[in-house]
Amino acid sequence: MTRSPSNRITRAWLLLVLLTLFSLGAGRVGIGGLVANAVVLAAAFAKGRWMLMDFLKLRGTPPGWRALFLSWLMMVTALPWCAAAVSALRG
Amino acid sequence: MVAGQEERSWGALSDLPGHPMMWVLILTEVVTFGLLLLTFAGARAVQPALFAVGQAQLDATLGGMNTVVLVTSGWLAALAVEARATGGRLRARILLAAAICLGLVFIAVKVIEYVAKARLGIGMDTDTFFTLYFLLTGFHLLHVVMGVAILALVAVHDSLDNLKTGTAFWHMVDLVWVVMYPLIYLVG
Repeated sequence: MTRSPSNRITRAWLLLVLLTLFSLGAGRVGIGGLVANAVVLAAAFAKGRWMLMDFLKLRGTPPGWRALFLSWLMMVTALPWCAAAVSALRG
Repeated sequence: MVAGQEERSWGALSDLPGHPMMWVLILTEVVTFGLLLLTFAGARAVQPALFAVGQAQLDATLGGMNTVVLVTSGWLAALAVEARATGGRLRARILLAAAICLGLVFIAVKVIEYVAKARLGIGMDTDTFFTLYFLLTGFHLLHVVMGVAILALVAVHDSLDNLKTGTAFWHMVDLVWVVMYPLIYLVG
């Protein structure tokens, strides 16, 4: 079944709110540095992806644009985790 | 120049929703914010203890609440474009007005947060963490103020293309905060 644009936008919003609450919980329980960081940053990537696709409407644009913005999103969520991991390993 | 040629005169940018000039601005902003976010992450890797102390003084719940406020504003703005595209001009304006109100709530919460920090004697020159905290969140806040003004402008001049252009900027502001919030408030 094809979703209407409004339904798709509302679904994205619900997921964004749920992931924000999940991130807040995961960030506060203190279940361990690198694992918690990975979960929180993965949630940020997922949220950013929904925003790009459903709010900014990149879903209907040529793949090059999607790749460009998703690469940026991957960079700003993955590199901070890598930096934190290097820092933790150095003790 | 004929209409078809004019539409393609921006090259690949013409494939994006809204005015291509807005996307030039958006691309510039995401590069700038990207560098700022990576600077923050790099500085934390160098001074993890200092950043842990600084982060403990932030109110993550307030930041999370502001994230929900901003994504809800983005949702309303996106629905406004859909409403305008299907001829619901009044509905689009009401949705934009609600999006603007939530943008103002975000600004108010951020100001409350800054005032609370100032009362504790925390400022930009407290340490590296707070220099970057105020720099990143302040620069973003400036964009929220600009975004609210742009949304108000396109609510008045409400052609579909204007709405797509104005809300694209707003979603960029939203996107940056969605990455900035966990990076500053949650990642330890």
